Parts: sequence; structure tokens; C-alpha cells
Amino acid sequence: MKRREFIKNTSLASSLVFVPSFVNAFDSIMQPNLGHKRLVIIQLEGGNDGLNTIIPYRNDLYFKNRPTLGIKGEKLIKATDEIGFHTSLKPLKNLYDKGYVTILNNVGYPNPNRSHFRSMDIWQTASHSNQTLTSGWIGRYLDTYGNVPYDAIEVDESLSLAMKGESMSAIATKNANRLFKTSQEPYFKQIIKHNSESHLNEHNLGYLYKTLIAAESSAKQIYETSKTFSSKQSYPNSGFAKQLKTTAEFINSGLQTKVYYTSLGGFDTHANQINSQSRLLSQYAEGIESFVNDLKENGTFKDTLILTFSEFGRRVKQNAANGTDHGTANNVFIIGEHLKNQGFYNELASLEDLDANGDLKFEIDFRTIYATILSKWLNVDDEKVLNNSFKQLNFI
Amino acid sequence: MIMTQREIQHLFWRAGFGILPKQLQKIAHKTRTQIVDELFDNSYRSTPLKIDALEFENIDYQSLKQDKEALKKFTKLLQDKLVDFNEAWIDRLKNPKELLRERMTLFWANHFVCRENNTLFAQQYNNTLREHALGNLRSFTKAVSKESAMIKYLNLKQNKKQSPNENFARELMELFTLGKGNYSEEDIKESARAFTGYNHDFYGDYKFRRFQHDYDKKTFFNRSGNFSGDDIIDIILVEQQCARFICEKLYRYFVNTSINKNHIEEMVEVFYPKYDIEDLMRFVFMSDWFYDETNIGTKIKSPIDLIVGLHRDVPMEFNDQKHLLALQKMLGQVLLRPPNVAGWKGGKQWIDSNTILLRLRLSSILLNSAHISTKQKGEFNDRLNQFIKRKKQKHLPFKVEHNWEHFESAYKTVSIKELQKYLLMANPSSETQSFLNELGKTTKQEHCIQLMSIPEYQMC
Repeated sequence: MKRREFIKNTSLASSLVFVPSFVNAFDSIMQPNLGHKRLVIIQLEGGNDGLNTIIPYRNDLYFKNRPTLGIKGEKLIKATDEIGFHTSLKPLKNLYDKGYVTILNNVGYPNPNRSHFRSMDIWQTASHSNQTLTSGWIGRYLDTYGNVPYDAIEVDESLSLAMKGESMSAIATKNANRLFKTSQEPYFKQIIKHNSESHLNEHNLGYLYKTLIAAESSAKQIYETSKTFSSKQSYPNSGFAKQLKTTAEFINSGLQTKVYYTSLGGFDTHANQINSQSRLLSQYAEGIESFVNDLKENGTFKDTLILTFSEFGRRVKQNAANGTDHGTANNVFIIGEHLKNQGFYNELASLEDLDANGDLKFEIDFRTIYATILSKWLNVDDEKVLNNSFKQLNFI
Repeated sequence: MIMTQREIQHLFWRAGFGILPKQLQKIAHKTRTQIVDELFDNSYRSTPLKIDALEFENIDYQSLKQDKEALKKFTKLLQDKLVDFNEAWIDRLKNPKELLRERMTLFWANHFVCRENNTLFAQQYNNTLREHALGNLRSFTKAVSKESAMIKYLNLKQNKKQSPNENFARELMELFTLGKGNYSEEDIKESARAFTGYNHDFYGDYKFRRFQHDYDKKTFFNRSGNFSGDDIIDIILVEQQCARFICEKLYRYFVNTSINKNHIEEMVEVFYPKYDIEDLMRFVFMSDWFYDETNIGTKIKSPIDLIVGLHRDVPMEFNDQKHLLALQKMLGQVLLRPPNVAGWKGGKQWIDSNTILLRLRLSSILLNSAHISTKQKGEFNDRLNQFIKRKKQKHLPFKVEHNWEHFESAYKTVSIKELQKYLLMANPSSETQSFLNELGKTTKQEHCIQLMSIPEYQMC
């Protein structure tokens, strides 16, 4: 039985069940099985320059458009005769060599929007570009299939739109101990103890009480589970790596969370791109390598899929400030142990056939990736979550 | 007809941000008509909100244009000052000159949603919302369509005869006037053509570029003509659905998130076809149903309601402006930074595990060194409480100067026991009430924090 159904049922069965017993009832109920596979989402904020990440180093048009920014064959890590990785991605290339990486090229959506906020919104809500949705795609996954807020955790201070549903949202925490302490305010416990089932049925006020009760028990569950495990893996010293380390601790401690959300910002490289992008890609790749090693050592990598995306790629032609402006389609990385289609899923984007802005024309709709992950990895009905039917891809 | 205390509080929570006992007692003898009239009279004027920035006076684009570095610096300044404008807006809400007008401005900012980085454009847009907040929807919608911020945000700038951009036309109908399903894709295409040529200059003034405008015939809602953008808005307003759409949105915000169809039809009757916002709002606040018990204390406060409401009882200033921003972010509502063109959904969507915990702790964190007294009647643990209080103080995330003297003076005539009636709009259940009754109430301050820390305080 789903938790929310349970609330409904008990409220019908008796008009006055005191909350403590009702809360305990949740704790003792076997959690409905959502499966043991989990998804980790990494959001690269600002629009990572995909063309200088996965590089078509034999393409004349690439160098023609990027006279100073283009990265030549000797300055990159070759993957094939045509394609190379940015040197900062050495750790990612190691994972690629082991068959743990699938790269989907040229991912986007029709009528692309070049505003950060709007495009991130589109990616997070899985909407069409002319449609505005108020819930995120993971939020809607929780609406339909979630039981407790910590079914999805954002390793941050507050929730992204992606993690907010209509009737249920994820929980955000960077620090399980701090969240736990906040939730353990003695006054709250008194309030919860003194409340009745009749109160919980009240439309809006009842929702506040229910959310408080769920928050308290989620914070407790996250803290008490995660404190049993402390990572022995060494991670680089960056905020992003710290998020991944926390995520690994949550996973390796046996927390039954299905989706984790993390992010790395700063990719909006309008000027002097070379150094800043190198630094960020290092942070990304080094963090990922430690994370994967940590999971592998603890036997949890096989059930983990890592999805990395950015709200858009950047213009093919570099600008006058040794940077690049907002573009459209981009590459998406899928990292996991048993990938069906290791390496490059599809060809690189054409640099000849550009749109009126001089941007790439997308080939894979990002929502087909979501649909594939929802149905083939999380084993749920993707149409229910995305409110649309999308083609299934073949990478898992 | 004399209003009850609860009715006055309800009116002021919805039309403003609550009312202090001192002010309430001053108007308690007046009739509903008198009180509502005063609310409108006091909002007759519109005081523009402007940040103090010498740099923004006497801007000379012609000379700026000559100096690329200076222009770049100035453009950055225009963006940096947005933080100041955010703070200034919250300050205005804390000390409103025209209470109802400010509440309406906040409503319209989440209706004609716009996100703008250029502080001058954002400020101008905000003041247009303020100016029309109680005016006529027709001139309001037309004014919004000609605002630099909107022209940028919904791509009117890119909407040219040769390559129309439908973004504004679509949202105009879907979100601003009619609602989904009340127009066709063809209507969007045709009306987008009517809005071609809309543009603005460096100072944010509207500029019509006639060479980019499509002067040809358009067919929209079964009419044909060489329509302009203003014509399109006029045609949309002929549809009674437009009045209904706006009334429903106002009802959900000011009255109840669940719609009562009869009330909506009464409102439409008043609103259509004149579209006078003041008439409509006066009708709502004068209606008996507005004061139904089902509508009182049943709305979840927005983060801004919460912050401004707290401030009304116990004035506070953040030592660091970044903390006020961080607080807005953590609560899920940064003014001038709506999530998308649909705005904040509000209601239950304000609430998740993180925001509920923060909301319930907010008053204690900001006003009482993070301490909420759980002392039961007759318990004697003051020293322990003081110790806890001292210990918590060290880890406070926000540094705030608060003014409890103001509270003491505003609540002077209110006894500890009566405090609840002033601070809570939602009725606690009998269990919560008995819990509140059992609490030791040593001082008005402590009890104020206790009341502000239960979920009922989150309602208005």
C-alpha cells in the first residue's frame, strides 16, 4: 500500500487516531519496493560548451569557427580517429575505457530557448519549449510512485524545480546531521504528539502537519542510516566533490533513496573560456572518478546510473572575447556498469547544417533519455511521469 | 454593520499583511463600508518605488556608447543593483504607504510575470504594475505589452514581420487573459503578427519599429483587419472568459484556493465589460461570503507574507542584505526572480520538508536566538533555558536586529491569553489548543514565539 493511500485509509477507518501511533505505523510498515536501482543526476549549470568537451578534432569547420578556442589533436585525449576528450576529462576517459560511459551527442529539444533560466526550466520540468509546467520530472515521479520525501534527495540547501511535485516533493540536505538537529526541535515533537487525525484531514493546515511529520521522520531516517557509514575514499577538495561524497555515503549506508540530485555551476563561459572550463571539467571528472570508485568498492555501482546534463551547449562560432555564447544541443553523459551501448551512442553533430543562429540542430530529444531511464532503469511508467509518450532509446 | 475583530484581521491579512492590535482598536467601531472605503482611499495614490542610485540619474547613452569599457561597467552596475531593488521592495512591503495597492502589486507581479536583470527596466516594470494595480485591466494589459522588461522577457524584440516570434502572443492568452483551451494555434500565429515591431531603447522607453511591423490583414477570433497589438487586446477583452479567468485567479489569491462558482459569477458580473479592478476588489471585500469562516485562516502564507507579517509584529533588520536574499531563496520565493512565466504556484507548493522545518523555526531563529520554550506550566528550568539559548545563539545562520519594544507597545493592551487571537488566523484543533494551554507562559515574548512556531501561524 502506498503511504498516501494509507493516510487516506486510516482516516476513513477511524476519526481520531493519535499521531504518535500513526507515525510509528509508518516506520514499521515495510516500505513498498521501488526496486533497488538508483539514479544520480548531475546538473552542469550555465551551459557547458559541449564542442570543447567532446571535440571533433579532425573537423575543419570546427577550427574555422574557433580560431583561438579550438583544441588541436595533440592537446586532447583521443578516443577515436575523429573524436577526443578535453584533457581535463582524463578521469572520465578512464571510465570510458572500462566501458562505463555512454555519450549521447547532440541532445536538445525543438525550438530551443537560449535563456539559462528558461532552458533549465524546460530540462527540469521536461516541458515543451512553449509550455510552462509547475512541477519537475522527478517531482512527478514522486507524485505517482513516491512513498516518503527521501525517495529523492537533493544534496543542497533547497530544492530545485526538478524535485518538486504537485502533491509530494523531495527533501534537500547537504548535511544529514544538521537537518536531523533542525527536525528534532523539542517543540515540534510536542506539536506532533498533540495532534489528531482529524486535524490532518484539513485541507491546507492538514498538509502542513503531514509534511512536518514526514520531514521529521525523513530527517531521522536519513541521519540514522547515513551515520552508519563513513566514506574511506579520498575525494578532491571541491564543493562538488563534497556533494558526491555525501551522496556516496547516503548510497553506501543503504539508504533506500531512488534519486539524488547534485549540481556544479559556473559554465557560462562568455569570456576567456579556456581556463575556467578546464578547471570546471577537472572538478567534474575528478569528482566522478572518486565517486565511482567509492561505489564500486562498496558494491553499489552496479545499481547506480549517473546522468550528466547542462541546460544548453554553446554557439559553434566563438565570440570576440575568447568565449562562446549560448547555444542549443549538447552532449549528455550516462555512467554506469552495465550499459548496452558503451562509448558513443550516436554521431557528433553536423557543423555544416546549423540553424539560423549558427547553432547545432538537435538530434536526440532529452525527454527520450528521461523516458528511457524511467522505464528501463527505475521501472515505472514513463508516460505517467512525463505526460507524453516518448521514444525509448537503447543505452541501458 | 460593525465588523468583528476576526473579520477585520481577515480583511487586513488578505488586503495587506495583517494588522496590529493598536491599529485594529482604532478602527474597531467602524462599519465594513467605512473600513473598506478607507482601504481604497489610502491606496488612491501610487508612490513609485525607486532605489537611490546616483549613477542612474542623467544617463547619457550617446556618450556611454563611445566608451566600450564604461558601457560594460554600467551594464554590470545595472544588474548588480537588482539586489538593492529586491531589498527596497521588501522594505516597501514592510512599511507600505498604500497598503492595498502594494498587496495588489505583489499579486500582479505574479500574474504578469516577468524576469528582468536590468534594474532600471525591472524598476520601471514594477512601477507600472503598481500604477495600474487598481486601475483598468484594458490599459494595464496594453501598458504591460509595451514595457521594456516584457518586450525582452517574452521575445517581442525578436518578433519581426519576416520572422514572427509567438512567445508573447501565446502567454498573453494562456497566462495573462484567457487561460488554456480558449484560443486556437491559429489565433496565436495571427496575433503574434500584430505585435511585431515592439521594441525599446537603452533607457527602457517603448519604441515602435514600423519597418518591422506587419501591416497586413490578420484574422483573429473570427474577425479580420489590419490589427495592431492594442486591437488584439481589445478583441480578447470582448470575451467574457477573460473576465472569468482574472476573477478566478483573484479569488484563489484573495479568497480561497478552492473556487466557488457562484461567487465567481457574481464577480464576473461586476468586472465585465468595464474591467475596473478597483470596483471588482471593492465588491469582493464588501461581500458577505468573503468573511465566511471557510475562507478565514485557510490560506498558506507565501514566504513574503511570512517575512513581512513577522516584521509587522516584531520589526527586524538583517545586518547583511545577503541574508535576506538567502532566506527568500531557502523559503522558495525570491522577489523579482519568479521560477518561470507561470509564476509561483503558491498554496501547498510553498511547502516541502525543508521549507516546513524552516518556516516553523523562523520566528525563533530571527527573533529569539533560535529558542522556543517548551516549558510546561509550573516547570522551573529557567537556567536551563538560558543555557540552551546561549548555546544556540552561536550557530545562528542569520544576524538580525530586532525591535521587541515595538511589539510590547503595539500589544500593550493585549494580555498573554489574548495574544493567540491576534497572532493566529487558523483555529487550532482541540489537541493543539490544550497543548497551548498547558504551556507555561512566562512572558508575552516567549508566548509570541510559541504561537509563531506552530503550523497554524503559517496560515492567514
